[in-house]
Order: sequence, then structure tokens, then C-alpha cells
Amino acid sequence: MSTLKVSLEIFRYKKGQPAHYDPFTVEIPDNAHVIDVIDTVWAKHDPSLTFRRACHHSSCGSCALRINGVEKLPCITRLTDVWNGIKPIRIEPLRNFPVVSDLVVEVGDFFERMSAAGMTITCEAEGFLPLTVDTFAVADVLPRAVELPDNLALFNRFEQCIECGICMSACPTMATDSKFIGPAGLAAIYQARHKTDDPARVKHLLGLADGEHGVWRCHSAFECTEACPQAVDPASKIMALRRELTLRRLRKMFGLRI
Amino acid sequence: MSTLNYSRTKQAARWFDIRQRKVGMWAYALNRITGIGLVVYLYLHLGVLSMLMRGQSAWDAFVALARSPLYLVLDVILLAGILIHGLNGLRLAFTGLGFSVGAQKALFIILMVIGAIILLVAGLKIFAV
Amino acid sequence: MSVNTFDQESRPTVAWLWQVVTGVGLVVLLGLHMIANHFIAKGGLRDYAAVVAYLRNPIILVLEILFLVCVTTHALLGVRAIFLDFGVSDRIERMLTQVLKWIGVLTVVYGLVIMWFVIR
Repeated sequence: MSTLKVSLEIFRYKKGQPAHYDPFTVEIPDNAHVIDVIDTVWAKHDPSLTFRRACHHSSCGSCALRINGVEKLPCITRLTDVWNGIKPIRIEPLRNFPVVSDLVVEVGDFFERMSAAGMTITCEAEGFLPLTVDTFAVADVLPRAVELPDNLALFNRFEQCIECGICMSACPTMATDSKFIGPAGLAAIYQARHKTDDPARVKHLLGLADGEHGVWRCHSAFECTEACPQAVDPASKIMALRRELTLRRLRKMFGLRI
Repeated sequence: MSTLNYSRTKQAARWFDIRQRKVGMWAYALNRITGIGLVVYLYLHLGVLSMLMRGQSAWDAFVALARSPLYLVLDVILLAGILIHGLNGLRLAFTGLGFSVGAQKALFIILMVIGAIILLVAGLKIFAV
Repeated sequence: MSVNTFDQESRPTVAWLWQVVTGVGLVVLLGLHMIANHFIAKGGLRDYAAVVAYLRNPIILVLEILFLVCVTTHALLGVRAIFLDFGVSDRIERMLTQVLKWIGVLTVVYGLVIMWFVIR
């Protein structure tokens, strides 16, 4: 492990001032992740830099931003994967969210969309223990399904989505339609729709998906699926919703013959 | 709270910013550009067809003009637009109903290669005339 | 967030379906139109007499009218989609759809007038 001298350009915005980029040069161990670099900028160079971070292991979704123009979670992005030794690393906030300050964006509207589908989060992988054996190749340790209590479904949603907002930043429709439910919201609707048998709830969820700001505003750029750090694959979920809506509409038109 | 919001125009320009974006985004940007181009062309074409109402000499004069090299080049560009939009459109109809979403990149590449072949053949025919 | 209760007319789904139907139709009809007018026609373009002869064929006439309706519908649905991507209100969406519908009707009528003029 050695120390690297890394240069960065970080997007800055404070109320009442024009947006601009500040250059920084930071000394940091080469096994650092990008969030560590940003932490170091704040700790040793500029305490006025604002940014979000919490878990440091891609389970909270707080730190999402753009590194060299591409949406990523800096907590799991290795410095050496984005630093070529020459061009400064460009750090910018997510797109399609209003910027509050520096790298912090306003996420209230985003969470409203998620709660419109109505759930709390638990990661799908937590249904199995241990989470992985790849790194720790211990011969007799195998993943086994955990016995979960019967009423757990009341409290948890087993889902890949960590609500980081990366897909919303990558989506071209989110750029211009601020009412678009977005890939995260539509993926959540898909999940919710498949977890319920209540016809009224299904109708409500499909109604959300079928609105003028729902699935039909998606134009298949597939950037959401490309950018998602958690393999949610929102694009497939949007297309699956579209198929269901289309089949229902056709059945209605032709009187259940399809 | 005073947040920084970009204008709608600036955001709309992002539709066509494919830097660091993947194949699906190129397809989307191309589809939109060719779509807008084709709508413009449609109304130009319909406008030109009004010459049919001005009689034989007016129309035939236009036809003579339309055989000039400039027009032939424009025709090839038009055909490229039609092929991109049409073939990609079929891909959108297919994946848009949830079929083969995982193969969307491969589908795009294959369809554009087919389009390029058709364009080449058609281009040769256009300039050989 | 405005909610569209699914049982209602579901205009968004229907609009997309028509876009797909006309799109697929165009692959066929535009293909035929291009081949008939630019690859079968002598020299790649039809002079006046050739246009008249072409449109006087009743099957051709029907196909060309169908093509005109398809391409106008597809084009204007596409334009509508671009506007809707800007997140317009329900009221503006309804107005926009009406305006585009009338532009479509006028476009088709205009095309029919030319065709009638040519074949009479």
C-alpha cells in the first residue's frame, strides 16, 4: 500500500453564489475509495464542503454522485479505478435533482415517489446467510436460507433498491419531466404490485404506472439499469409493467379474448 | 431553501449528450433526432407535393431538379434517418413490451448493421441511376 | 402526483399502442412506398404522367391513403411524446392532444386533396 497524490475538481454551490468547480490535491493511500478522498478534502482542506455519506458499504444509498460524469456510489468505487494519474477526477452531484449545496441534492420529491408505492426497505440478500462465500472461501460454510418469522412481510420489503437516486440521475426523461415517477419509483411500483393480491391496491398501483408521468414517459434509454449499483434492473420492471398494462388494455378492447 | 435548478432547455440538451452513456442512450438520442428530422421532412415533402397541383410542367421541372447530385446526397441521408428510426423503432416496440430486454444492446447493434447494409445497397442504386 | 385510476380510458397506454401499430405498419407501407416510387419507377422518380398512372391504380391509391394516415398519426404521436416529456399539466396535455389531432386531420385532408386533383 502506497500513498497517492490525487487531484480533483469538485462542484461547488452555495446559496447566492454561482456554481463553479474547486481544484484540490489530496494525499491518500492507494487502497482508498472515492468517498475517503472526499472525506479527506473536507477534513484537511475545506470544511465548507458539503456531501452525504453514511454506511460506506452501498447499503444506505446516501453518497450517490457523479464521478467523471458517470453516476456511482463513491463508497464502493475504488480510487484506482477512476484515477489515471493525470486528469483530475471530476466530482459532481447527481443530475435531475435540485442542488442544495455542493454535492448535496434535494431528495424530498424522490422519496415521495418511493413512498407512493408504499414500503420500507430490507435488502434481498439478507434473506440468506452468510452473504457471500466468494471472498472468504471457507470450505464448509455455505449460504443457507434463513428461517424468517411469519409476519416479517408486514415490516420488511425484500428489495435490491437502496434508494440512492442514481437511476433518476441517469434517466433522460427525468431531465425534463419533473413529474415523471422515474425508474426508481416505477421499479418500486412493480415490486409493490407483485406483493399484493388486493384488487383495489393493484388498480391504484397500475393507475400510477399508467399515468402520463408513468411508464409511457420511458423511452428505453436503459441508462437506469446500466447505472444501478444494486442490480435492481428498473428498465425490465418498467417494461414488465408496460406489458401488463398493454395486455389488460387489449383484453378490455377485445373483451377478454386474449 | 434556494436550490440550484438548471433550465429546461439545458436539461433538454442532455437528451443528446451521450458522453459516458451506453448503447441504449445512443439509440434513444438517435431515435429522437431522426424522429424530429423525419417530421420536418414529412411536411417539406407534403409541401413539395403541392407542385402536382400546378400541373405537368411544374412537377416535371421539380423532378429534373430532384435528380441533381445534391438531392441524391440528401436522399441518402434521408434514407439513413428512415432506417435508423424504423429499425430501432422495431426494437423499441419489442423491448417496450418486455421481450428480450436483456438483449437490447445486441439488438441495437445487429439492427444498425442491417441498416448499414441496406443503406449501402440503396446508396449504390441511387447513385448508379 | 396525479393518479390515473386504471379502469378509465387509459389514454397513455392507447397512445403508445397506436404508436407501435402505426410504426409497424409504416415499416411495411413506407417500404412499399419507397420501393414503388424510387426503385421500381424508371430513373428513381415519377414524372407527372407516371404519378397520374400510379395513383389511378385503385390498390395503390388505397395503400397510399393508408400510408398517409399512418405516417401522419405516427409523426404527430411522436411530437406529442416529445412535448409530454417536458412534464406538462393535464390541462395542457389535453389541449396539445386536440391541437395535434386537428393538425393530423388537416394534413390527411390536404394529402387527399392532392391525390384527388391528380387522379381526376
